[in-house]
Amino acid sequence: MFWERLRTLLSETFLNFRRGGWGILVSVGAITIAFLITGIFLLFTLNLSAVVDRWAEDFQVVVFLHDTITEEQQTLLRKRLDGEMAVREVTYVSKKDALAKFRRQAGGQENLLEGMNTNPLPASFELRIHDKYQTAAALKQLAASLKRVEGVEDVLYGQEWVERLTGVIEVMKILGIVVGGVLGLASLFIVANTVRMAVYARAQEIEIMRLVGATRTTIQIPLILEGTVQGGLGAALALGLLYFLFQATLWQLGTSASILFSGPELARFLTPEYRMAMIGVGVLVGGVGSLVAVRRFLKV
Amino acid sequence: MIQMFRVSKIYPKDVVALSDVTFHVQKGDFVFLCGPSGAGKTTLLRLIFRDELPSSGQILVNGRNVVRLRESKLPALRRTIGVIFQDFKLLMDRTVYANLQLVARVLGIPESISRRKIGRLLKDVGLIQKADQTPYKLSGGEQQRVAIARALMSDPTILLADEPTGNLDPDLSLDVMRLLAEVNIRGTTVVVATHNPKLVSEMGHRTLILKQGRLVEEIA
Repeated sequence: MFWERLRTLLSETFLNFRRGGWGILVSVGAITIAFLITGIFLLFTLNLSAVVDRWAEDFQVVVFLHDTITEEQQTLLRKRLDGEMAVREVTYVSKKDALAKFRRQAGGQENLLEGMNTNPLPASFELRIHDKYQTAAALKQLAASLKRVEGVEDVLYGQEWVERLTGVIEVMKILGIVVGGVLGLASLFIVANTVRMAVYARAQEIEIMRLVGATRTTIQIPLILEGTVQGGLGAALALGLLYFLFQATLWQLGTSASILFSGPELARFLTPEYRMAMIGVGVLVGGVGSLVAVRRFLKV
Repeated sequence: MIQMFRVSKIYPKDVVALSDVTFHVQKGDFVFLCGPSGAGKTTLLRLIFRDELPSSGQILVNGRNVVRLRESKLPALRRTIGVIFQDFKLLMDRTVYANLQLVARVLGIPESISRRKIGRLLKDVGLIQKADQTPYKLSGGEQQRVAIARALMSDPTILLADEPTGNLDPDLSLDVMRLLAEVNIRGTTVVVATHNPKLVSEMGHRTLILKQGRLVEEIA
């Protein structure tokens, strides 16, 4: 009994879908475009913030040491760094380590250092900074105070560009939310309108149903189901297009992508959670849009 | 079965459709509702299945006070009343079968059962061969019979017919009336609105005559 009813309901929904024709195509298309644009923003923002996070993770304050620093001075400095509130982690890089690291990073151009008898690279302390101290003002203060310590040659930090990028991401996020919100509302409106048109087109059928004793639910459910299918389909199509665009963009960027993301495999598509959420929102938008349209119609 | 007590219906701009109408239709009756166009026949029928509410007065249908019926109880009332509309109200782009199936869907009858029922009803009205055609291709008389079959889908205790012979020639009119008489014999209360006095006299049933919204005469 239940299954037969469900089957009837579903076949009715899809039959209505076919009867809807162009109107439904326009509606699904509009939802697709709205979700695609929102998706592009989302994808861009997520990837950019991932990149910046990675950069920020690597980001350190580096305290270069004089070659002439005494062991005592170094121990003292170390103690002071460990006691510093802003510092999360201290790593000592000896002159030898620095050279090895340089060799690794220079890849293919090790000969730059050849012919040098001495190691020109200074030893250093690399500091990882607690998130809340990663502000230009705090770091500037820290650097200035460390610079005055005996045995310290120089202190390097470069917070400003990270801050600027973080600012860009914040703006993108807000823009994404605004654009997504506006487009979401727009698609709500579009679905509501399409369903309303579908409802008007079937005004006679609905009237007959009411006259022969249909409950509100019997009339509403297929129409709402139709809306959710439209919304879900639109979102799914948008997701497919987004994936296609994403792959095409990576392919276009080619080697530039590998520099930006330190390897193209690090550029990420939306996670399954985001994908589910997008389709979920599509279904919701479609359902709510239909509900609004049907309610309004049945009241008249 | 159907009782109206001092029922009036006044539409906006003081258009009086019915005025102080009182009558009683017993279970199993066959009653004609007669009168010229605009006398209030359709309004009276619509009050019975509560497509309209009266401006004043009380209406009892199957023991329920229709006037005070809650919105949620409305579907249950309408399922006990079959209505043949003056304009048929058929879906012209669906087949005859689909038109009847719509009612089955509303009533929640599974298709395995409704299929047999639709077959039986279409046989009764002599349209079993036309089940897969759209009403668009049928004649007026055939469309009328589809409307009758659809009204009977819910096994109603009351059948209301609004001008069921309105645009049919005399022979077809009699056919339709015979069909309604058969339904009546099986126990359904039938109320037929018509402006055709000849038909009424030929059939010889109880007749209520409406004129300008008033019940002016009753022929037993």
